[in-house]
Amino acid sequence: MLRKWVLVALSSVLLLTVSGLRAQEPVPLTFFMTFVPNVQFAPVYVALEKGYFAEQGLNVTVEHGDENVGVDLIAAGERQFGLISGEEVLKARAAGRPVVFVYEWFQQYPVGIVYNADSGLASVADLKGKKVGIPGRFGASYNGLTALLSASGLSESDIQLEPIGFNAPDVFCMGAVEAAVVYINNEPLQIQQRADAGQCGAVKNVAVFPVATAADMVSNGLVTNEQTIAEQPDLVRAVVAAFNAGLADAVNNPAEAYLLSAKYVENLPLDDAFRSALETAAQAQTAALEAAPDRAAVIESRAALREQLNAAFDPAVVVQFDVLLNTIDLWDADQLGLTDDTSWEQTAKLLVQMGALTEPYTLTGAYTNAFLPEAAQP
Amino acid sequence: MHERILPKPMTNSSLPPVRTGQSWSALAAQFAPALLLLALLAAWQIVVWLQVYPPFIIPPPLAVWQKGVEVIADGTLWGHIQATMGAVVAGLAVGLAAAVGLGYLIAKNRVLDHALSPLIAAFQSAPVVAYAPLLVIWFGSGLTSKIVTSALIVFFPMLMNTVVGINSVPTALRDLMRSMQATRWQTFSKLEVPAAMPVLLGGLKISASLAVIGAVVGEFVNANAGLGYLINLARSQYDTPLVIVAVLALTLMARLLYSGVRLLENHTLAWQKRDRPQWK
Amino acid sequence: MTVQLAVRDLTVVYPAPGGGAFPALGPISFQIEAGTFVCLIGPSGCGKSTLIRLLGGLQSPTRGQAFLGESVIREPSRRVGLMFQDANLMPWRTVVDNIALPLELAGVSPVARTQSALALLPKLGLSAEFAQSYPAELSGGMAQRVALGRVLIQEPEVLLLDEPFGALDALTREQISFDLMHMWSTGGQTALMVTHNIHEALLLADRILVLSRRPGQLVADIAVTLPRPRRISDSYRDDFGVLAAAVRAAIQQT
Repeated sequence: MLRKWVLVALSSVLLLTVSGLRAQEPVPLTFFMTFVPNVQFAPVYVALEKGYFAEQGLNVTVEHGDENVGVDLIAAGERQFGLISGEEVLKARAAGRPVVFVYEWFQQYPVGIVYNADSGLASVADLKGKKVGIPGRFGASYNGLTALLSASGLSESDIQLEPIGFNAPDVFCMGAVEAAVVYINNEPLQIQQRADAGQCGAVKNVAVFPVATAADMVSNGLVTNEQTIAEQPDLVRAVVAAFNAGLADAVNNPAEAYLLSAKYVENLPLDDAFRSALETAAQAQTAALEAAPDRAAVIESRAALREQLNAAFDPAVVVQFDVLLNTIDLWDADQLGLTDDTSWEQTAKLLVQMGALTEPYTLTGAYTNAFLPEAAQP
Repeated sequence: MHERILPKPMTNSSLPPVRTGQSWSALAAQFAPALLLLALLAAWQIVVWLQVYPPFIIPPPLAVWQKGVEVIADGTLWGHIQATMGAVVAGLAVGLAAAVGLGYLIAKNRVLDHALSPLIAAFQSAPVVAYAPLLVIWFGSGLTSKIVTSALIVFFPMLMNTVVGINSVPTALRDLMRSMQATRWQTFSKLEVPAAMPVLLGGLKISASLAVIGAVVGEFVNANAGLGYLINLARSQYDTPLVIVAVLALTLMARLLYSGVRLLENHTLAWQKRDRPQWK
Repeated sequence: MTVQLAVRDLTVVYPAPGGGAFPALGPISFQIEAGTFVCLIGPSGCGKSTLIRLLGGLQSPTRGQAFLGESVIREPSRRVGLMFQDANLMPWRTVVDNIALPLELAGVSPVARTQSALALLPKLGLSAEFAQSYPAELSGGMAQRVALGRVLIQEPEVLLLDEPFGALDALTREQISFDLMHMWSTGGQTALMVTHNIHEALLLADRILVLSRRPGQLVADIAVTLPRPRRISDSYRDDFGVLAAAVRAAIQQT
């Protein structure tokens, strides 16, 4: 708590200095996010630490909570911005909540099914009759599973679905389920780590069926409400710009993003040796970025860094950095933030199929690319 | 009959019933709960009219009513009530049996008391909500972990009440039973059980409500059915009226259970109704 | 005459809180013939209640022995009925069920034991309308009558009474002890009663045993030679006064 206030105080001082130059009061803003502080929110931490919000005249504090609560807070105007998934936006709008998706953060749906690579499963269709774990019949995991099953011509009744909470590594390694619906950037890494340590039963290698290969669905993005769009379009543009800058930096320089996140994410592995290795990597990458390398070159640099750090450090130290790299793969795109009609239509169809949305529905007003930075406008 | 509305404290101090004549205050007292309910409904409706919050945050009473009628008519609500009720009853049964059994042993055995009491005190302080997710890993999903959660939350207060209840049996009555050559079983069934009954039933009243909380916590963490699940489902569908309907159903269920225990108590402790117990 | 109760060198010593020994009773020896009524008088804390508990088999002596007839007392016996200062009724049982409790424990059928209890009510001086009352609805005197009924229903040979009327007001006490005497005289039990009340002792007893201060030892064994049947008005007799003075002197001497 104290840390949070010190943080708030420090950033206020910083902002006051910046805005003093502009002779303007910083606008206080609470930014809503789901889950708990985690390296996967690195773009926000980068934007905060590198002053991208401050540059826009914003004094941002972050808040974590339940997604449905967040949607209601934004819809009711108690909050103006948050990171929410696309499905939730459609469901919420159908239930009268005026929320709008203005920036696509995850370009790929982050959910998939993790399984034992040596179990002979070749496709999602092979899961027929098998025990599959899932956090519960809700949220992105359930939506993703439904999309995956439906793309393979299966339905929920063809598998034995077991709600297991967010305990996939434990339950999977205990052998209680044969596969589990997980966030592909996170749990597969943890399970593989256990398997490498011989602590995952007979499992030696894990593999994943990602939702993204079966369906192009809208995932998490920046969400605001209709009132803010109508009354403060500049504010929307400013928040989008700051988030976009943070995201781009995180994608381009993950070592730096990791270091900046450490301040926000308690218990993030960062011993002295790892810190100095990351600092060296971050400086080198900053220098390399001056030459404006293309996307392929940046992807290559990330792969090289992953290999280098995993060779040099213990898995327990490097695992959260690997999570970040995996997550960056889900964010990265030629055009950050851009959301397209097809993925919204696919998402809506899936929701209808699941009974979460009823026809006729309208996608109009649910999302827009209008606030993307100039260069990114289609 | 002057029914008490608020839960009585754990230890039973049934005061003699207040006798009210057919005066104005008596009439007011009789209708007060209904009037208060109406006033609350009116206040709710006014808040909706004034649009203090958008309707998706506070839906109008009518919307909740319609939703309630809808889910009752199509059987949805009843199915979830049954699921929760099943877990509650099973959890209560398991929790009570374990607590009364262990509590009796602890009360009778000093060594066991010294060995277990610190452990129990420590475990008791751990909120079930905090470790409920672990229960899912240990006991699997579905009914079992719900029952375990419910049983655990019932277990500790009931254990305490059993120990207190058995220890509160007056020594003089134990001597009396001995002087009449009572067997161990006779001392248990004809002295300890009835003597501890007021405290046990006091614990049961608390436990009945706790069991509902336990089952719902279990359902929140993970479930395929039950009112806790229905609340989660409704929330995920942004169906606020359904959330309220489910919460009301839960309230009603807990209240009915409580009343059930009250009835049992009135029946079992008829001797207390007329006055306080003679011995203290 | 046969000896019904006897104690020989009976001694009770408790371990003292700070180590060492805390003598509570004796050594004491006496015997009581069958069918006699004996009162036990002594200062507070002299071990009278301990003696009753020993004779009732609720407690074991440190040294010495207590006998019921020929046999050493080691546990409660069906032949002995115990009554304490508190009625110790079970508050969840009705008057009848409290009285019938010993029969219930002995496995007598519900109908038979209820009949026995109901039959006892008039002798106890209890009106039948209280049969289904709960203890909380009774006065102290009535509760003691119920407790007495619970003792008498098992038809014991010996009555051990530990200040049974100590908590009652004087008038009630006189009446109830007189009723007790009446019941005893028709029942023929052997009775040992602890009391603080010289008047009561003289009215009831054939013998009065006076105990010293803790650890209680026998300091006087006074035969009460008043003729039976006795009446309350007997207390105005000259020899009553002489006996009372003797008892008082024995107590003061302790």
